[in-house]
Amino acid sequence: MADAPTPVMFAIVTTSKQAVIGGMAPVFMANDEPERDRIAMWLCRITNCIAHDLHNGTVVLTVNQASSS
Amino acid sequence: MSSSSAPIDWSPMVIGFAAGFISRLVSIRTGRTHYPGYPSGYISQLALAIIAAMIGASVIVSLVGKEFTAATFLTLAATQFRDVRSTERKTLEQEEHLILVGRGAGYIEGIAITYEARNYLAMMVALVTSIVTQYIGVVIGGVVGIIAIIIGEIYMSGPKVGDMIEVEPAKIHFEKGSLLYVGDVMMMEVGLPHSRERYQKEGMGVLLTPKGRRGQSVLWNVAQRQAISHEAAAAVGTQKDVGYPEQTPLCRMDMPKGSGRAGLSILPVEHNMEALIKAIKNTPVLESGKWSAVTSPVLNRKEME
Repeated sequence: MADAPTPVMFAIVTTSKQAVIGGMAPVFMANDEPERDRIAMWLCRITNCIAHDLHNGTVVLTVNQASSS
Repeated sequence: MSSSSAPIDWSPMVIGFAAGFISRLVSIRTGRTHYPGYPSGYISQLALAIIAAMIGASVIVSLVGKEFTAATFLTLAATQFRDVRSTERKTLEQEEHLILVGRGAGYIEGIAITYEARNYLAMMVALVTSIVTQYIGVVIGGVVGIIAIIIGEIYMSGPKVGDMIEVEPAKIHFEKGSLLYVGDVMMMEVGLPHSRERYQKEGMGVLLTPKGRRGQSVLWNVAQRQAISHEAAAAVGTQKDVGYPEQTPLCRMDMPKGSGRAGLSILPVEHNMEALIKAIKNTPVLESGKWSAVTSPVLNRKEME
């Protein structure tokens, strides 16, 4: 409670292939922004994670360790 | 009790018991918004109240009757009330996983301590009243009982957030596309356009401005802010369910600036700004939030200048 739980990157949804290289999280490619947001929302609702927009065409989904929803 | 000595005067016990029991009843009524919220909770609290008042009231009678064994056993019984705190804490902690906006560990501890202390208070009121009744008289005993109840009630009702912090409505808006702001306090980054729309359409924001040093140190306490958002969500509801973490009501400090103010964002079910502000103002100041002014970066900065 005293500090925020460590977020773990769960997935990456992006429209630009060159913005993301490797990593431990799966990368979901989308053709345009509406599709990207739709995928991000689906994944959020399914896995109880939080979406963060990096404003370069990439959305990062993170899950808080010891999920307290 | 003993049959050999003079007949026992029951009046100190009766009046002491009544005073202790009433003092506990009064505090059950004022503590209603937090816990207990249902009949079975009241019953267990009432049972404890009766035992506590009974113990407090019978000590002096058994001492006067020269029943020292009885008096010793009564003090033993009084130590059993230590368990009240851990019982309360356990109940609330289990509930914590089942509610959408948690109270936070600090608030739970505060409630548990208060419940323990109130039982001891009932015991002390009963003891004082029965002593006065025993040695001075029934009428004065009754008067002292009433005074003790009033003093106990004043002493036990701690400060509220509204005493130290100004609460005012503020506008919710987004900057740089996805940063959620309440007034000029940044709350968080909302990545989903769907949630952003929701916040813009239905969100409510409140700015908390400390009135002084105490207010600042209170607001810097994380547990205190969790308690505030719990009370806010309890008052106006929250559009949130499991799987919607970004719609949780949040209470965050004005952080990159560190001005000592805080913002609260919430997606309410009922758009009632008055109820929201009233609930925040009535949130009790937690014990863990009272202790230090040194934890506040703003105060430290002023001392360095």
